[in-house]
Formats: sequence, C-alpha cells, structure tokens
Amino acid sequence: MEQKTVLHAQNVRKSFGARGNVQEVLRGIDLRVLEGEFVGIMGPSGAGKTTLLNVLATIDRSTEGSILIGDADISTMKDRELSAFRRDKLGFIFQDYNLLDTLTVKENILLPVSLGKMHKRVAEDQFKSIADILGISELANKYPHEISGGQKQRTSAARALINKPSMVFADEPTGALDSKSASSLLGTLEDVNKKRGVTIMMVTHDPVASSYCSRVVFLKDGMIYSELYRGDKTRQAFFQEILKVQGVLGGDSVDTL
Amino acid sequence: MTLFNLVTRSMRKNIKHYYLYFFALILSVVLYFVFATLQHDSAVIAETNRSMNMSAGFQVAGILLIFIAGIFVIYANAIFLRRRSREIGLYQLIGLTKGAVARLLIIENALLSAGALLVGVGIGILLSRLFLLLLMKLVDFDGFIELNFSVAAILQTIFVFAAIIALTSFQMVARVYRSTLLSLFKADKSEEHPKQPKSFLSAFLGCLGIVFIAFGYWYSGHMLNALLFLNMLIVLATTISGTYLVFRVSISWLLYKLRVSKNGHLGLYNSLSIASIMHRMRGNANSLTIIAVLSAMTLTMVAVACSFYYSTEKDAKQIMPFHYMVLLGKDEDKDHQVDQFLQELDSEGIGYTASTVESLYITGEIMGDDFPTWLNGSTYFSIVSEEQLREAGLAVQAPAAGQGTVYDASLAWILKSVKTPYEVKLLDGPKEFSIKIEQLGDGNVINFPSPGTQIVVPDLVFNEVRDMIQGSEVETFTFRTINIKEDQDLDKAYDISRQDKYTAFSFSYYEMYKQNVQNNGLTIFIAGFLGLIFLLTTGSILYFKQMTEAEQEKNNYATLRQLGFTSKEIMRGIVKKQVFVFGLPLLIGLLHSIFAVKSASFMFMSDITLPVTISMTLYVVIYLIFAFLTVGYYRKIVKAAL
Ligand SMILES: Nc1ncnc2c1ncn2[C@@H]1O[C@H](COP(=O)(O)OP(=O)(O)OP(=O)(O)O)[C@@H](O)[C@H]1O
Ligand SMILES: [Mg+2]
Repeated sequence: MEQKTVLHAQNVRKSFGARGNVQEVLRGIDLRVLEGEFVGIMGPSGAGKTTLLNVLATIDRSTEGSILIGDADISTMKDRELSAFRRDKLGFIFQDYNLLDTLTVKENILLPVSLGKMHKRVAEDQFKSIADILGISELANKYPHEISGGQKQRTSAARALINKPSMVFADEPTGALDSKSASSLLGTLEDVNKKRGVTIMMVTHDPVASSYCSRVVFLKDGMIYSELYRGDKTRQAFFQEILKVQGVLGGDSVDTL
Repeated sequence: MTLFNLVTRSMRKNIKHYYLYFFALILSVVLYFVFATLQHDSAVIAETNRSMNMSAGFQVAGILLIFIAGIFVIYANAIFLRRRSREIGLYQLIGLTKGAVARLLIIENALLSAGALLVGVGIGILLSRLFLLLLMKLVDFDGFIELNFSVAAILQTIFVFAAIIALTSFQMVARVYRSTLLSLFKADKSEEHPKQPKSFLSAFLGCLGIVFIAFGYWYSGHMLNALLFLNMLIVLATTISGTYLVFRVSISWLLYKLRVSKNGHLGLYNSLSIASIMHRMRGNANSLTIIAVLSAMTLTMVAVACSFYYSTEKDAKQIMPFHYMVLLGKDEDKDHQVDQFLQELDSEGIGYTASTVESLYITGEIMGDDFPTWLNGSTYFSIVSEEQLREAGLAVQAPAAGQGTVYDASLAWILKSVKTPYEVKLLDGPKEFSIKIEQLGDGNVINFPSPGTQIVVPDLVFNEVRDMIQGSEVETFTFRTINIKEDQDLDKAYDISRQDKYTAFSFSYYEMYKQNVQNNGLTIFIAGFLGLIFLLTTGSILYFKQMTEAEQEKNNYATLRQLGFTSKEIMRGIVKKQVFVFGLPLLIGLLHSIFAVKSASFMFMSDITLPVTISMTLYVVIYLIFAFLTVGYYRKIVKAAL
C-alpha cells in the first residue's frame, strides 16, 4: 500500500550568524514523512532539533534546500503565504503551552479558526469532539491560570487540532509535565494519531515519550544520525531500542545540566 | 565591583526602561522651566503688574504646574519601578541587602534627574523665547522683547525638581523595603482575571453611572440661579462619579455580556481587544476616569479661554457700541471738552462722526412669566429712540410700531431665557406706560457704564414716554457720541483722549478693547500652556501604560504569529483596543466638555461655536498623535515577536 507523503525535506541547511562567524546548525537533512506517521525527533542538546522543527513548521526559514508539505513548496513561499499556510494546514504544541492568559480554554482552542472560513457551528462541533477526546470539556470556561500544567498542554493540543491540520508539530510537549500527565497526554496524542490519522512530528528528550512514536529520527550535529521504526514491536521493546541508540549518541548526559 | 559600577552597568543595560522615565522627567523640567522663565521675565512682569488678575493668574498657574509635574513624574516612576521590579528582586537574590539596593536606586535616580535637569533646562532656554514671543503677541505687546537668561528661573526649577526627586527617591526606597521578593518577581505579570460580575449589582451600578452622567448633563443646563455654585458642585460630583462607574462597572458589564454571548467564539480581533481590556479593567478604571475628567477639564478650559480671546473685539463692541459716548452734565464743561476733542481730531486729520443720543431713565417692571423670580421687582430702564441711534451711526434693527427691543449686555444671559414677547410696564408715580418687547437685541446701545436696561423704541413711542414724564422727577440723559472712521486711527485718538484735561473721556471703546486683549491674551496663554501640559501628561500616561501592556503581551503576539496570524491581522486587533483605550476617555471627555462649555456660554455675548470647534479639534489632533505613537510601538513589538 502506497502512503501519501505529507512532508518531504531535501538537503535542508540552516546557518546562524553573519559573515565571518557562521554556525551551520542543520547540515543537509533529508526527511520524508508519510501520512499518519508519528515521528519522534531525538538527539543531544544543541543538535538542532528545535531548529529543524521550526524550519519544517515554517516558523523559521531554511538557508538552503527544499521543503514540501503536501504539494506546497514552503521554501519559496512569501511570509504572508506562510502565515496563511500555518494557520490552515498546521498545528503546534509548545513546551510551555503558549496559551493566551487573557482567554478562556475554549477561546484559546477556537482561536486558530477565528479568521478562517470554518462555520461557527462546524467549529463548535469540532471543539466538542476534540475537547471530549482530550478530556477538557469541563474546563471550557476556565482561564489558563486556573488549570494544571497537564490540562494546559491538553488545551494547547486541542488548539493544534481544531483546524484539522495536515500535520501537527510538537516541541517537547511533555517537557514541563510530570510523568503521569506526560504519559496521559502522549496516550491521547497516539490515539489522535491512530484514530484520526493526524500526522505528528514531535521533538523530545524523553525516550519514554518517543516510544509512543511510530518512528524515531536521531539527530546529531545537524545531521540525521539514524532512524528507528517501531513496526509491530511493543512500546517496551521500542523503548529499549531507543535507549540503546541514545547511549551511543551520548546525548542525555548534557540534559542533567 | 563597586556600587557605582553596578549602577552604571545596570543603567546601560536598562536604557530602554530608563528613557521612558527620563523622557517624563525632561518633559516636566522643560515645561516648568519655560514657565518659570516667563514668570521672571521683566517684560512679562511689567505686563502682568498692570492687572491684579493677571499676576494672580500666573501665580495660580505656577502652583498648579508644580502639582501636575509632580504627579506626572511620580506616576512615570511608578510604572518604571514596576517594569524593573524583577531586576530589583534579582539584586536582592544575588545577595545585595535592601539598603544597598535602595542606595543603588537613589544614586541612579540622582544621576538620571541631574541629566534630565541639564537637558530640560537646555531645551527650555530655547523654547522659552518662543513662548515669550507667543505670549507677547497674544497680549498685543509691541515693545522690543529681549529674553534674559534667567538665573532665578533656573534656581526655581532646580528647587522644585529637587523636591520632586526627593519624593521619587522616597517612592523607590519604599518599594524596595515594603515589597517581598516574590511580589517583586510577579509585579510585571498582571494578576487580574475577569470574574463574572454579580449580575444584579453590576447592572444596577452600571445603569446608575449612565444615569448620573445624564443627570449631570441635564442639570448643567438648569443651573443659572441663586445657587449657581452649589449647582456646579452637584454637576461635577454626578458627572465624575458617573464617569468612574461607567469605566469601572458599566463597560466591564457590557463587555462581559458581549463575551458571554460569543460562547467562546471570540475571534482574533476581540481576543486582542476585548479580552485584553477586560483583563485589566479594574486597574485601568482609575486612570481612564482621571484621563476622561482631566481631558474634559482641559478641553473646557481651553475652549472657554479661546472663546474669550476670539470674542474680545466683538464683546468690546457690544459693551461699547460707540467709540466714545460722553454723558453731558448740568454745566457746560463736558460739552466743551467734547468740542475741544473734536477740534484736536480735526487738526490731526482723524475722520469721525459725531452725534447726540438721549435716554429717558425711568423705573419699570418686566411682566414676563419666566423671568427668574430671584431677580423680580422693579428695575431701571433707559428708553432710547431708534431714529437717534440710527443718526448716530448705530444700525439697530427697527422695532415694529409701538413695540420695543431690549438691550443689556450685562443681563443678556438672564434675559435670553425670558420668552418674548412680554410687556414692560414703565412707572412714573401713578402714571403707567406699557411697551411690548418683541425681542432681545445684541449687546448695549449705550456705552458701559450706564445704569439700567435699555429699550429701543420708535421715535413715536419715545415721544409718548417723554410726554408722560413731562415735569416729573424722571431724568433725561443726553449723550454725545463719537465714532472714529478708520480703525487704525483709534490708537491715535486714544492718545488724545487720555490726556488729563479730558475728564469726561474716562471710558472709551479702545481702552476697554486693549484691556480685554491683554486679559484674554494672558488667559488664553495660561490656559493653552496648562492645557498643553495636561494633554502631554494624559497622553504620556496612556502611552506609558500601553507600552507596559505591549511588553506584557509580547509572548501572546509571538504565539499568535506562530499559529499563523500575520502581524497585520494582529495589529488590526490591537488598533481596535487602542480605539477603546484612547477613544473612550476622549469621547467622554469631549461630551463632558461640550456640556460644560454650553453651560458656560452665558458668559459670552457672541457665538462661540467656531473657537470652541477649533480648540477642540486641535486638542483631539494632538491627543491622537499619542494614539498613533502607541500603535507604532505595538507594531514594533509585534513585528519583532517572531
Ligand atoms: N536564533 C539563533 N541564532 C543563533 N544561533 C542559534 C539560534 N537558534 C539556535 N541556535 C544555535 O543552533 C544550535 C541548535 O539549537 P537548537 O535549539 O536547534 O538545539 P536543540 O537540539 O533544540 O537543543 P535542546 O535540546 O537544548 O533544545 C545551538 O548551538 C544554538 O546555539
Ligand atoms: Mg530545543
């Protein structure tokens, strides 16, 4: 069965700094993500994970290379087109939630569809079903300061899903959560991925988190170091495999910083 | 690292936070210094000493100015401190004692203030010349103006600001000692969250606010009676408390209802405006009220002063319809003086017209129903013939046969409200004569000072009244009137008439006009100067507040841009918020002032729509500059957010 390609990056490079002091953070990344995949990105601190995610998610621009999301070549789009593309086609979950503290949970979640063409009734139905899946229906009228970190991240996830994105990007979504809320959130993400067929790309330090993925890509010094597919393995077995690669990469030691 | 090093380093690093405070300091120094310079300028002193009102006006304005400058600087310092509270907390966290942090802040404050004083006085020296020229132009002073560098003004400025700086230093020290570390770290986060208003109480208070304002407006049109002062207090109290309630309750309540009705589908623009406003409404209610009330005060003050200045000439004309009007006495002396004066005019080649006007000075009663009871009773009337006036060169509208027109510049504000036609019953002992008054004319027909309300009647009626009083006590006054043909000759004619020998010429149109120009020129200058300061102050406070808000919401803008909203879309929401933040107090201030000016318009004999419109437009334009600056600041923040 041939699956559709959602994201196709070829020879993506990214450098920071002006002439004379250029630091190449991404050094030729080739990556293809198929529809319905749940891709984890791991690697030592400073490997360029966040940079890669930002470049792929159109928040930042690559210095070189081409990136296709669906049929659209985002590396040639203008800023305005990129904004519209982000809003219509992509979803984001951030480590520190990035909820607007002036808005209620429901208002936060519905924000991305506010200027779109989605009818209010459709948006309302969409909100109900997503809030149900994420278990935050009860919290609709609460403000972010009134709910827990895990609930905030669920809200953030709901906001990422409300516009039926073709792909969701998450940068360390469990970074600020305790292990129980983390695994609960990851379980839901896995659910959404399987049942709704949403393609997800998630950057994480945590081998447990990446064991929920269907594939894990390891990054080192701005290049892809290796890849692991979960296939039919149990999560436990996949976790062990991830640990092994991580041991070779020697990434986690930096994390104790 | 010594404390001083730490100070200079932290100042360099926080330059962005400083320049707001620095700017506020400089602005107040400049304005105060300009004012102090004018106060000590010999030409101004010479001008103001001629009239008690003028020097008193200057003094009061000076004191008011100190207050405003002080409050403004303290306010800016409070914002400044809040923005820096994290830094203050950090110093304590790395082990500086509270005393050391306080010392650090005081040294900083002293350095900043010294700098601001230097810069401010420098700018002030340049600007004061400009303001002096403006003032002298307004009071029609045509001597040579030289501006001396005034040491007294500098000392006075330094003295005033030393006091203000002492206050701000005290404020800083209090901040350091009185707040806990935790509160310092949280201070730049707004802690307020909109709560569901208690529906009945809010609805009640919200409506009450609007009712208060409406009542104040209505009452302001009905306060011309013996209790004028009390009435003014009532109007002030109801409108100000109404304004506060509107900002504190009515608007929150409306916004809350609106938001609930959206059921979560708030949308980007409302999220950036309504939600953000509701988030801070409680904290903002005070400042928005103050700004609305201050704007109203300033607008009223400037509009009224402008109207005075604008109507100077017209008002003088209305009070003094003839350039000269000499009341002849029993002896021939005054008659001679007039003849002599006319001869002098002839020899100087000054063209004029001269004539004679008579008036019958008689008691009478106004029979109108709605004539205010507190002015009831009989008064004196001067009956004047329309034909005589026309001959003397005063073109008044001819009353219909058998009827009269009332003229009285000093009572016009009351007579305006008496419905015409009404009857005036003239009394001479047992004899009575009724005249039907068909309308109220503009100003006087006999020069100030002349007793009694004037009634212009056709010659026929005039003669009938004269016949009636034949042989009685009632006096007949005879005036000789002189009008100078060319306005530019007025000055020369005045130089002749003010010679000591002309005792009969103690009042003249030109003298009154000159005096009014001076008084009104100074009034408009002081009002304009204070108005400008109020305006700059309120504008800056709003701008500062919005700057702080913009920085607090920076992360929100970053998030929104990551979610795919363009900066243009975000800016549209922010503009919506600014329309509210700047527009609402302005609108309320404008409304207040329109009603205030309307109720003050009784002081003017001429129509003041034009000067009021001009001054209000000017105010709005300058005020809006601050709104644009604010939007520009937001745009910078939003653009840099991603
Ligand atoms: N805006 C920037 N300007 C300059 N250098 C940058 C910028 N963003 C990232 N870098 C550099 O790029 C490198 C990779 O950063 P990146 O944030 O992608 O790492 P990461 O893999 O996400 O690390 P972590 O696990 O700590 O989040 C780092 O060395 C960082 O210093
Ligand atoms: Mg990162």
